[in-house]
Amino acid sequence: MISRIITIGLALTTLGAFTASGQDVSLQPPEQAIADVVDFYLERSLGEINQEASGTATDATLLRRTTLDLVGRIPTVREAQSYRSDTAPDKRVKMVERLLTSPGYLQHQVYELAQLLHPDDSKHLQNYLTHAVNNDASWDRIFRDLMLPPAKPEEAPEADRFIKSRIQDIDKLANDTSVLFFGVNISCAKCHDHPLVEQWKQSHFFGMKSFFSRTFANGDFLSERDYGAVQFQTTEGETKTAQLMFLSGKVVEEPAWKEPNDEEKKKLKQQLEELKKKKQPTPAPSFSRRNKLVEVALSTQEQDFFARNIVNRLWYRVFGHGLVMPLDQLHEGNPASHPELLQWLARDMVTHNYDLKRLLRGLVLSKAYARQSHWDQDSRPNPEWFAVANTKPLSRYQYGHSLQMASTSPDEFSLDDENQLRERLQRVYSQNGLAEQLDQPIHDFQVSSNEALLFSNSDRINEALLADRNKSLIGKLKSLENDPQRVELAYWTILSRPPNDDEIKLLTTYLAARQERPLDGIQQLVWILLTSTEFRFNH
Amino acid sequence: MTSKRHSSFCGSAEHSLDRRAFLGSGMQGSALLGAGAWGLNALRQPALAEVLKQKEKRVILLWLAGGASQLETWDPKPGRPTGGPYRAIQTSVPGVQISELMPKMAGRLKDTAIIRSLNTKDGSHGTGARLMHLGRRDEPNLKYPDLGAVLARELGRADSPVPDYVSFYTATEGRGNAVGQSGFLGARYAPMSLTTENKPLFLSRQENISIQDHQQRAQLQALFNERFARKRNLPAVASHQEAYARVRGLMASETLFDLEQESQKTRDRYGKTLFGQQALVARRLIEAGTPFVKVSRAWWDSHGQNFETHLELVTELDHVMSTLLDDLEERGLLENTLVLTLAEFGRTPTINGSLGRDHFGQAWSVSLSGCGIQGGSVYGKTDQDGQTVADGEVGAGEVFATIYQALGIDHQKDYHVGARPIPLTDPGIEPVSEVLA
Repeated sequence: MISRIITIGLALTTLGAFTASGQDVSLQPPEQAIADVVDFYLERSLGEINQEASGTATDATLLRRTTLDLVGRIPTVREAQSYRSDTAPDKRVKMVERLLTSPGYLQHQVYELAQLLHPDDSKHLQNYLTHAVNNDASWDRIFRDLMLPPAKPEEAPEADRFIKSRIQDIDKLANDTSVLFFGVNISCAKCHDHPLVEQWKQSHFFGMKSFFSRTFANGDFLSERDYGAVQFQTTEGETKTAQLMFLSGKVVEEPAWKEPNDEEKKKLKQQLEELKKKKQPTPAPSFSRRNKLVEVALSTQEQDFFARNIVNRLWYRVFGHGLVMPLDQLHEGNPASHPELLQWLARDMVTHNYDLKRLLRGLVLSKAYARQSHWDQDSRPNPEWFAVANTKPLSRYQYGHSLQMASTSPDEFSLDDENQLRERLQRVYSQNGLAEQLDQPIHDFQVSSNEALLFSNSDRINEALLADRNKSLIGKLKSLENDPQRVELAYWTILSRPPNDDEIKLLTTYLAARQERPLDGIQQLVWILLTSTEFRFNH
Repeated sequence: MTSKRHSSFCGSAEHSLDRRAFLGSGMQGSALLGAGAWGLNALRQPALAEVLKQKEKRVILLWLAGGASQLETWDPKPGRPTGGPYRAIQTSVPGVQISELMPKMAGRLKDTAIIRSLNTKDGSHGTGARLMHLGRRDEPNLKYPDLGAVLARELGRADSPVPDYVSFYTATEGRGNAVGQSGFLGARYAPMSLTTENKPLFLSRQENISIQDHQQRAQLQALFNERFARKRNLPAVASHQEAYARVRGLMASETLFDLEQESQKTRDRYGKTLFGQQALVARRLIEAGTPFVKVSRAWWDSHGQNFETHLELVTELDHVMSTLLDDLEERGLLENTLVLTLAEFGRTPTINGSLGRDHFGQAWSVSLSGCGIQGGSVYGKTDQDGQTVADGEVGAGEVFATIYQALGIDHQKDYHVGARPIPLTDPGIEPVSEVLA
């Protein structure tokens, strides 16, 4: 057990590589492939602590994992079987490329980002994100669009919803922006200097809030004043006026402003009322604090927060555990498990203009990503070492769409015509009825008994997943000649792998006990696999 | 194996050492243990017997949705301009009077305490209800668990065959405000919500599958799940098996919701109203081990015709509450059961033009009965017209601290959300000791 002193010492020495983006003395060269850099740093740490890693996952497992992570669904039977029997040495690279260039990638990305940016109601930003993702928008473009929605809605439809949905609560707007785009939750610092984090003081919270404090809604349009400042009370009862301050502590200059007198305010109010009535936008302010925020956040000196946050979040999505945990505590007192790796990836992100696809590609091609998720020895290693792959609960969309696919006859997806296949898959993505009945996992996810009861007893679920129709899996299984075939196809369709001998034995026995009423047997076989833990998780 | 232990918290050394000491170095970084939580609680208590005793505590919350008037219930002002037409009556406690609309409770204050000095400063249904469900306000990025979720965690058993947290809200008005919230405790502690039925959904087996098949398919599924989880010792994975393992028990608890199981005499005692019936179901549930049941009665929001509305609703409340307390006492359950009346706010002393009372959070009342309560006590005073608190002002936090203390739960105990330690009540909040036994 390392003592606290050594931990602090380590934190201090990593600060050098951690804070300034220009300082990259000890980092791997920028030309290296992302996957190789990931493996370099992770393996180095494992070596330092003498920790073994788990073995490589099977082809079936890796295909399923990569498909879920990149396109948000389980593989089709054809995809699963052909990947497994493919002998080409570069099949993994080809598979990743196939997934990244498929429409499914775009669709899944929309759901993932919608869930990230608006967890309470992920439909809220779907229109904007569909537009952005389909137009290959980089992450900084998305940030810009949401902070400074363009005047022409065609350029970024409904981009103003991010701010609009939070306009009644500027504290929330400031903190959400800080959490989602900079990985920093400063809400504790609202009432007092953060008690445990040296770095965050009240002036940080109110400094960030100040970027948003002049923003308001005038009817349907977002508007921003030329004047106004945030005042706050310190714990000593002193009243202070907040300066524009970014998370790094950098105070941002702004032009001098004057509070309008009562008459001027009255006039302004009238103007606003008129514009509201005419349903017209308000004129832009002479100086926009929000514009300044975007400028500062993306500037060379300050972009660390922005870059590190998105790297950490994508890492979390793929590995199930961030380089920094929790995701909203990117601060000096909470160093990354692999600070140089985080720094290298952040630098790479900036150099390549915040191209999310590039990072995802690199991460899923690493050796670390391909590890097994089961640990055969006694105590499972701490997740921060990435010695063994995590199990990740499927998101509600992944789960809903995968259930649909898994309960459909594989013939429906075994099409030679690419376009037809695409269309059929697209249909799966657009049906969210099932997904919306399911819980969206948060970190430290717990399955609720409501979910177990739903799957055990709901007639709607029965109808959706276990109905005997000729296009359903049930229908297909009925048409097969014998039980071992049924078990085999059920496993490929639902769990994307072949069954082992023991599983075949157990399930054929189960089916045999019901041979007078074969439909019952088949439905129960499918139920057992659809509701299994193995299906419910990405592993 | 040494590890550079990265703090999952804001940085306090005490917190990381504290957890490690209890959990051992092999544990995951996961902040909450979820299903295994009660083991952690046991380690913190001085004696295991104490813990087990605490596990017997139960709560029934009577949620007076819409905001019941304190002037027509616990804090009447007869003869004052704000008093309205109803008088006050003597109770079994010398010097204490309550509304004449509650004669049954008046005779039974020996187990009940009243807090008259509640000032929550909130007159809005939505935020007021949330405040009185959580005992505090949510933060921008932190959703707290409500009373039911906390008690399901504190008082529930990991392998419980009965639901931990049941909530009745069968009216439509205001239902959205009173939705249960398990917050950062996660779905494990979400309520079983009954809104259209008196019985939960999905407890009954579908017609098209036999009992035997239902059980056998569950058993085979469990076998496969156990194999999968064997080498993946992770809380989320374990929670999946656990959720399914509880299905059979939960389905069996269907009978708890079936009032045909009670004698006609008992059913008649509670009366034919929905509120009465649900209170009886609540008693059955807590008797079988459910730690927390909320029974909502809507809609108390009498902006007009306040006095007719309250004549009806208070009479019913008086009847149902007194029946419930008697029933609990006769069954030896009252000493371990806490019965609460809460609402989103009270009502204005000033009577409006429609003979109604409006929303009022500045000076209102709640009641606590049974477990851990000093029966017959009255805490706090409002002024002669009920417009302001005159003495002993408390907020939602103090009420919740009092509830936790009454149940033997340390109101300053910490949960940990990845970010930081979260005590059950905010620092500086103290329970109202005068109403505690």
